[in-house]
Amino acid sequence: MTCEKIQEKYADYLTGDLDEAGRAEVQAHILGCQACREDLENLTVVWAKLGVLPEEQPGGAVRARFYALLEDEKRKAAAAAVPQARSRLADWLTFRRPAFAASFSVLLLLLGLGAGWFLSAGRPGRESYAALSREVQDMRQQVALSLLNDPSASERIQGVGYTAEVKDPSDTTLAALFKAVDADPNPNVRLAAVDALYLFRDRPGVRQNLVRSLSVQSYPLVQVALIDFLVEVREARAVEALKKLIEAGELTPDVKKRAEQGLRQIAL
Amino acid sequence: MAPTDNELMEDVRDGRVEKLAVLFERYQTMLYNFFLRLTGNRAASEDLVQEVFIRILKYRSGYLSESRFNVWLFQIARNAHIDYLRKQKPALPLDEKHAETPGREPLPEAAYEADREAELVRRALDRLPVNKREILVLFRFQNLKLREIAELTGVQVGTVKAQVHRALKDLSRVYLELQRGDLS
Repeated sequence: MTCEKIQEKYADYLTGDLDEAGRAEVQAHILGCQACREDLENLTVVWAKLGVLPEEQPGGAVRARFYALLEDEKRKAAAAAVPQARSRLADWLTFRRPAFAASFSVLLLLLGLGAGWFLSAGRPGRESYAALSREVQDMRQQVALSLLNDPSASERIQGVGYTAEVKDPSDTTLAALFKAVDADPNPNVRLAAVDALYLFRDRPGVRQNLVRSLSVQSYPLVQVALIDFLVEVREARAVEALKKLIEAGELTPDVKKRAEQGLRQIAL
Repeated sequence: MAPTDNELMEDVRDGRVEKLAVLFERYQTMLYNFFLRLTGNRAASEDLVQEVFIRILKYRSGYLSESRFNVWLFQIARNAHIDYLRKQKPALPLDEKHAETPGREPLPEAAYEADREAELVRRALDRLPVNKREILVLFRFQNLKLREIAELTGVQVGTVKAQVHRALKDLSRVYLELQRGDLS
């Protein structure tokens, strides 16, 4: 068998997918062909070395963004379903016979006048819209709080995603996010919570809580996310906390470097 | 029994978009590492993962029941990566682009593990042209079969075998050069 034919078998040989007969052919060939033997040895070494590359985990923000996308898509689908129902109604109301159409128009006119009178006597529309909007916000927060207590990490991340969509979260919701940053067993949930809190960085207590959180975190990526957050908002109270962290000497070299850099950036 | 990828994607196509969450949980890490090994950039890789799921939702109606989900998914991922490269270097056609991923971010976990060997392999991989790097990443890390890569890239299986061989040979050469210090 030619060298070229043997080389075609290398990919399957390396993954272990080559059958017994194929392996025998490769081994018989390399016994008599030094170039192919060296070639295959090198490939086997580099194939094994590729295995040392560690698999990394994406940041929690990826999950939060995905679930926000999904929620958006669900809303769009729900909104699209309404016009469909409307168009069915419109089909039903489209009369071909003019006499029918005219009498129905009168009926619609009367209904319109009645509705106008009713609305002008009742609450103004803007208020009712505001009430509805508040209701939706409250509902989101309730769903978020319930998801944040779920045993599944992906549900909790989804809960964090919901809080990010609340315009003005309640103190209870913020407290649930602080708790997630401090104590959630899954680092991805903690990271997502830090990201979500960035949206509410100007709410009282958010920055202080994250400064405090710096002293209880031990997972390097969450520590870096907190430092990034506090540097971004130029939080002066973080200076003391960062100095203590560095002095405690328990940081990994990368986090320590980021903390030192952060100190310099806050001072700028 | 857990639903297959194909069953889930059929559900998504047929309007039950919430099922995409299961596919996201199955594939987000794999996709992230696919992009990370191609771009060397964590933020860009996270954006690209999101882009893939945006495109899945956009093109879901075109998903065919007889498709292999992972091949369809990586087709979308490759396209997203190609568009990313175009935005990076609009003047160069894709096949002239050599990897040399500029400014690969230091990877904190790998760094404090001080894994010099992993770093050398990563640098060697970075120096391969993007098409060779991609074929190795698909074959070695994404566990795609040769016939799946052939389907994905639109070539014969024999061609993929030859491409894998050449890419590994190049990687081996660059790795040895880096190890000897011939390349900075």
